[in-house]
Amino acid sequence: MSAVSYGIARGIRFQILSEEDLDRIHWGTLHILEKVGVQVDSPTCRKLLKENGCEIDEKARSARIPSHLVEEALSKKKSAITLAARDRSYDARLDLNHSYMCANGNGAVAVDFETGERRNSTKKDLVDSTRICDALPNVHIHWPMVSSTDMPASVVHLHDLEASLNNTGKHVMYETGVTLEDAKNLTAMGYAAAGGEKEYRRRPITSCLQCTYAPLQHDAGVMDASLEFARNGVPLVFFCMPQPGATGPASLVGSVVVGNAEVLSALVMTQLSSPGAAVIYGLGIAPLDMKTTVRAGGSPEHAICSAMGTEMAHYYGMPSCVGVSGTAKEPGIQAAIETYTGCVGPLLAGADLMCGIGLLEDSSCLYLEQVVIDDEIVGAIARLIRGEWADDETLALDVIEKVGIGKDYLAQKHTMQFLRTDHFMPSLIDRRSEDTWSTTGKKTMRDSAREKVKEILGKHEVKPLSDEVNKDLAAMIKKAEKPMWGGESRVE
Amino acid sequence: MEEIVTRLKNAVINYEMETIADLAKEVVDSGVDPLVAIEEGLAQGIKTVGEKFGKGEIFLPELVMGAEAMKAALAVLEPAVPSGKHRATLGKVLIGTVQDDIHEIGKNLVSTMLSSNGFEVVDLGVNVPSEDFVKKAAEIKPNILAMSALMTTTMPRMGEVIAPLKKEDPSVKTIVGGAPVTDVYAKEVGADGYSGDASGAVDSAKKLVG
Repeated sequence: MSAVSYGIARGIRFQILSEEDLDRIHWGTLHILEKVGVQVDSPTCRKLLKENGCEIDEKARSARIPSHLVEEALSKKKSAITLAARDRSYDARLDLNHSYMCANGNGAVAVDFETGERRNSTKKDLVDSTRICDALPNVHIHWPMVSSTDMPASVVHLHDLEASLNNTGKHVMYETGVTLEDAKNLTAMGYAAAGGEKEYRRRPITSCLQCTYAPLQHDAGVMDASLEFARNGVPLVFFCMPQPGATGPASLVGSVVVGNAEVLSALVMTQLSSPGAAVIYGLGIAPLDMKTTVRAGGSPEHAICSAMGTEMAHYYGMPSCVGVSGTAKEPGIQAAIETYTGCVGPLLAGADLMCGIGLLEDSSCLYLEQVVIDDEIVGAIARLIRGEWADDETLALDVIEKVGIGKDYLAQKHTMQFLRTDHFMPSLIDRRSEDTWSTTGKKTMRDSAREKVKEILGKHEVKPLSDEVNKDLAAMIKKAEKPMWGGESRVE
Repeated sequence: MEEIVTRLKNAVINYEMETIADLAKEVVDSGVDPLVAIEEGLAQGIKTVGEKFGKGEIFLPELVMGAEAMKAALAVLEPAVPSGKHRATLGKVLIGTVQDDIHEIGKNLVSTMLSSNGFEVVDLGVNVPSEDFVKKAAEIKPNILAMSALMTTTMPRMGEVIAPLKKEDPSVKTIVGGAPVTDVYAKEVGADGYSGDASGAVDSAKKLVG
């Protein structure tokens, strides 16, 4: 057993791609990067690539990347990354032996817990969902679940980070560093919360997930921000999302090639600029549903692509961050099937970090009940992937001998010991008998989830940042506020 | 005197199955009234354990370990109780698994739950011939007769016991349980109570003696 106790320990792995498959995807990707290349909108990044031997087409803003640059970037990459947390007991060590779960992020809609009204998300929704994620045992990394759309548009993402840092002790990953200025502000807030740049560089308590654009494109703001984050010691995830059949080939492996080319080219730029920067391999490939035009989040294809993305990441010696979501509109059977399918595949394949659970309508809508239900689903899967082994203690020959024939094991010390480690104890799944269940109101899982949400919101306490740090953060947010879209600075 | 009774209570709360019998001997030797030791020590201890289980603070093996500790101490203390005196309980329950059925884990759980909730339980074991239930009831005069069956083929044995039992002594209440047993079936065989799980059996028994 591992000495690291945080996160999901895993001892089972199934393999989808063979070594030969992995080689062919890798070589195929190198072929695409050399022959087709990628679009690089940032002039800074094009200059960087040109200086290092890439063939640049300024008119098409594209770059063809020779294989040796990819190999060089892979030799400089960082394999062991720790996503540190404000509360050290929540440090997430991506070490190939543990999986970590993240709640889904940046939805813009929430269903009001009290009124049931579906409306734009607010900072209060973010505070509540952050506290819930802090309390849940199977959510290990925090991603602001919704945006504070009631805050001034120019600084919504800074309010999101402030609310997150104050309401969880867990590591905070955001995906809102999409301009150079955003990167500077978000870095500064991270430094302030960590107690200064030096401390932050030692223990980065925030990280940034950056999306590439399928097929084969890199946004200028995103890449400029990424290089800034890398310089500042902020860990990055480059997350590719081609949709098989639409922005990637319909064959899943073909879409993995497209996504892989995006991630590797982003890695090349980052390692050329900041050698040794912490970069996590990100992939969230779900097909476009050809009947509804909606992305099929939580589909088996989504799960199997996240599993293959994990295998590619590990082939390169990088930790993976892969996606899960669901298209259900409300908590219930569909949502549970989608979360379960979406999580179990990648986790069985050894996903290091998964994002994320809890949002419905394919990562758009927050239902607090679903967050706690998904936590339960991940808890069950965590048990499924832990692994089993036969040693003196698990074989229990002495206990079997002691109890003998026809007696029970209930009063054995061994029973208590292994109950704690080997038996999943559900918090929402109701295993009581029908008569007990029916005499106590026939509660559905959704009812129990509501009760659990209420209990957490009523009782769970999180130590906020110090007043001094909060004063600094407030000043940073104030300074960053600026008029947008026709001069309005605040939506009153 | 009080100190040793408290130690006895704590020994149940801490599941000291192996050492509690020695402590009980110490109680007897010290001259403390064994009835006081049972009621203030053991009963209070198991009550605490039972409450913790009810609140979900501890798990079943802990409850069973507490009950095992209590049983071990009772084996020493009960013979020391002066004849004619009896410990106060919520009632006496005669329990067993019906004839041709050897499934006893559920029945044992009910026994444990009942004794940790203040009932005195007399367990006839498994594969109990129907006439033995009736005979034993006539002998020990229980408040409740409890039966379990795991198979549809053995459930009818319950009715086979209840009919002559009620004829003999209509005041004895009966409860039945086991995987295939439903509340409807319980009524059909003339049982007074039914429960789908061990915790529910306690509520059911309390209602019948209350």
